[in-house]
Amino acid sequence: MISRDMLMCVAVFENMQLLPLFPRFKMELGFGEKSVEEVCKTHGVNTDFFLEIANSYLDEAYIPGEGLSLFSLGTVISYLKETHTYYVETALPMVEEKIYLLLDQSSLSDKEVNLVTVFFNDYKLEFLTHILEEEQHILPYILELEKQSALKKPDSEFAQKLQSYSIREFEQGHDRLETSLEHLSRLIIKNLPPFEDFQLCQQVLGDLSDLVKDLTDHANMEDKILIPRVAELEKQLISRIDTP
Amino acid sequence: MRFSGFILAIDSYLVRKGTVSLLSRIPDIRIIREFSAADSFRQYATRQDIDFLVISQSIFDQSSAVFVSHPGLLERTILLKEDSVSHLEIHNSIHLWEEKEVITAKIKRLIELHSSSLSTSGSSELTQREKTIVRLVSMGLTNRQIAEELFLSTHTVTTHRKNISSKLGIKSVSGITVYAIVNNIITIEEVTSKPSE
Repeated sequence: MISRDMLMCVAVFENMQLLPLFPRFKMELGFGEKSVEEVCKTHGVNTDFFLEIANSYLDEAYIPGEGLSLFSLGTVISYLKETHTYYVETALPMVEEKIYLLLDQSSLSDKEVNLVTVFFNDYKLEFLTHILEEEQHILPYILELEKQSALKKPDSEFAQKLQSYSIREFEQGHDRLETSLEHLSRLIIKNLPPFEDFQLCQQVLGDLSDLVKDLTDHANMEDKILIPRVAELEKQLISRIDTP
Repeated sequence: MRFSGFILAIDSYLVRKGTVSLLSRIPDIRIIREFSAADSFRQYATRQDIDFLVISQSIFDQSSAVFVSHPGLLERTILLKEDSVSHLEIHNSIHLWEEKEVITAKIKRLIELHSSSLSTSGSSELTQREKTIVRLVSMGLTNRQIAEELFLSTHTVTTHRKNISSKLGIKSVSGITVYAIVNNIITIEEVTSKPSE
């Protein structure tokens, strides 16, 4: 658990798994003797928000406190978007490149190579579709909802939309992207013949496991933090519309 | 996500709020939307799937189209009856003057009966029939071929496929194939060489 007074260098040194978070907050290493709070201030990041994200990232059982409801949905959403960018531009291409390298150097049969290749291509497509849906429809909807909620008189067209849509619908259809990656790891560990380059194989499994953890955290953030707040906002707005 | 989503379409404010209060005491129920009028409910139903529905008699009478477009919904609907005589053919009903315990038991039983066929859970076990279908999908059979193999209608196979996909959270044939391999439903040797449609 990290706190605002801790030195940022100590926080990171003791919790290396925090590293992927820094680019998302546009923070760079070389913290010197600055505390967590000072580093956040230098980069224009809300310290409480950073702490909530970092601590929930470190501990899956960490339940975000009241604190998180203080942040605008806009803040939460821009963090989620940064995370999406990290997945699409960094994490996924990185693991993909290693998987293909691993397949190239392996003595797997054509059938086995084909199995993994098609699997990963389909997964990538599913992944991108999932993120596109969120970025093009869900996140803009939430931002609009927050904007309308702040207005004295919500837009009638938006009120109309609220009559037939709820974020809970999205929640029900919200697939977990990490499941298929876990299957791929299990396939490598359990079912495929051994790879000659063990080091590379270990890296692939390590990358997959990091990505699974990150995706789990990301989905928890959406399901446990974002969606309940959005649902509450919808409820408030609807009751305002119903009783003018 | 393992919860049962409820839609309420009840015109009386007091009955609606009473129903909300009662449902919110039952674990794993989420109230997704409340409607006080038939037209807004019907409009919603044209665009959304509904897991469970609690509906008042008058809105029910005006919403028969909803049940035509949502086959199977009638079995997952609870009708709130205001009088003892009713000409309506519906399995589940609650009389407004029934005791709390009776109502709660009826709702719980309804959820138990249907939640396995509804696809909101991410970790539910596959049934034996579903495993068989997963195996055939991994061997590269189309829905039509699976239907012929198992003496089922193509429609039934499609329904199974949908349930499998939402239980596993996997949509693609290749994803299902890898799932089947790591779960010992099929071996790599048995898989078709082109696991895509």
